[in-house]
Amino acid sequence: MVMFTRMGDGRRVETTRKQVIDDIYLGMSHAAECSEAKPLSGDEVDHLADILCSEGKVLGVAPGNEVVLTEDGGPYKLMIDSGSSGNGIDMSRTESIMVHERALGMDSFQLAHIDYSIKAVKPIISYEMMVLEKVQAMTIVPLFYGAMPNMGLYYKPDGPFGNPADLMREFKIEEAQHEAEAASDAIAQDIEFITDRIMAAGGEGFNFDTTASAGDADFAGTLKGIEKMRKSHPDSYIVMGMSAENVLGIHGEIEYDGKVVAGLYPHEQVKLAEKAGVNVFGPVVNTNTSKSLAWNLARAITIVKQCETASKIPCHVNMGMGVGGIPMSETPPIDAVSRCSKAMVEIAHVDGI
Amino acid sequence: MTSFENEKKAIAAAMVAYKVPGIQKAAADAKAAGMEATEIIEAMGAGMSEVGVLFERGKLFLPHVLSAANGMSAAVKALEADLPKDQVGVKLAKVCMGTVEGDVHDIGKSICSTMLQCGGFDVVDLGRDVPSKDFIAQVKDNGCTMMGLSALMTTTMTVQRDIIGMLKDAGLRDNVKVMVGGAPVTQTWADKIGADCYSESASEQVDRAKALLG
Repeated sequence: MVMFTRMGDGRRVETTRKQVIDDIYLGMSHAAECSEAKPLSGDEVDHLADILCSEGKVLGVAPGNEVVLTEDGGPYKLMIDSGSSGNGIDMSRTESIMVHERALGMDSFQLAHIDYSIKAVKPIISYEMMVLEKVQAMTIVPLFYGAMPNMGLYYKPDGPFGNPADLMREFKIEEAQHEAEAASDAIAQDIEFITDRIMAAGGEGFNFDTTASAGDADFAGTLKGIEKMRKSHPDSYIVMGMSAENVLGIHGEIEYDGKVVAGLYPHEQVKLAEKAGVNVFGPVVNTNTSKSLAWNLARAITIVKQCETASKIPCHVNMGMGVGGIPMSETPPIDAVSRCSKAMVEIAHVDGI
Repeated sequence: MTSFENEKKAIAAAMVAYKVPGIQKAAADAKAAGMEATEIIEAMGAGMSEVGVLFERGKLFLPHVLSAANGMSAAVKALEADLPKDQVGVKLAKVCMGTVEGDVHDIGKSICSTMLQCGGFDVVDLGRDVPSKDFIAQVKDNGCTMMGLSALMTTTMTVQRDIIGMLKDAGLRDNVKVMVGGAPVTQTWADKIGADCYSESASEQVDRAKALLG
């Protein structure tokens, strides 16, 4: 029987159940090749095929199997209007947070600044403390402050440290590594500075979103910063979400807790996150736009399940445009989003999304 | 006539081990065994491709790729006297790379630039948030015959289409192969805007760029 499915770029294409199952096996083996993840069982493959081949446009988990939702990006998704994304509703950050709490039913939420980066928040932290205190007085939802480590901003031309990418093209490899290490130490200090003030303003914790976007030194620096935050604020709640499925080796040899962090996959990343003091870890699996939804979802589930199995802390998988099996499409199609979400909960057994 | 299998294996192993002295030694040993300079360079090229595969799989990292490329450059330099004059210092093509105007994302483009450089291309990296006219000037005035346009946002990927339009308006479209990439970019988008090449990863991009050379 012919049915509709999606490609990784969101296109609707025709498929058959046999093709879906073939793609599930191919996606699983690709996951095993990359991250040495264990393949799904025969029953799990059948269940995944049932989900993917279901006739319903929107699918959901059975009552009682719902999971909690965390969020990244903060209040801006309602507020911004960039022409092709955002909702463009004219409101303040406080109002947007209240809408997320009271109308959209978020289980937790976060205040964030439009620049959404550790470095950018540092000079305006006093203003952010005032807003956080005000929003805390008007809401009951657990409220984080959120920002990306975004260590690229510490490199030239935005920051004081030499840009490793430029230095390496001149074969100045040791100098590039030295600059990355210095930037890594600087971001750890800035994380301590910012989180101390966020906690002083009554924040319940911090969401480190899109961690390691500048590679392995970004990851190591963020973990060091989190370690400092955990030491100073033992009761704080710390969420760490990743930027990609494996840690890009820009430095190549930088370590955290005696382990080289470059190339780590989610099941290895989460162990270091645990050590640093993270409460909730957000694994990422990237979508391949040239492959089918079945291939991408099977691959994502296989990798995330391995992470969930290895982890002692809750894992809230990143599910959205171009991650978690979901197509890379500006408005991800709900048929694909709901199938991926249901499968992540029922097969990978994630604690949250 | 010997096929120099042992020497080729030693060169491949040295490339994957990415240490400059090791690569130089493997190339020198191959030369001493009677292997032609062009064959040695081909063997190092094959080793570099293997390095690219290991980078793609997260087994080797950017500094290792660069170190292997550095070792290969040093070994090639030592072989220059044995090469035909028209093959000394030859690059596959001159490529201008950059993240398009309005987009400050850098790392993906930088990795692609590095991998192309390691793959034997002459790379002019224009950086990020590059004014569109600067890409055109590279084709017009600096001899670039290939162009890599990176965009990490749905709001900036349209600039890739604009630049292709500017190339057409300037009568330069047939002089340059345009490669596009970035998180929201897909093969469908590349086809739609008339780009010559799209790839999912930096390593794949090198193979596709070589394929564009014909």
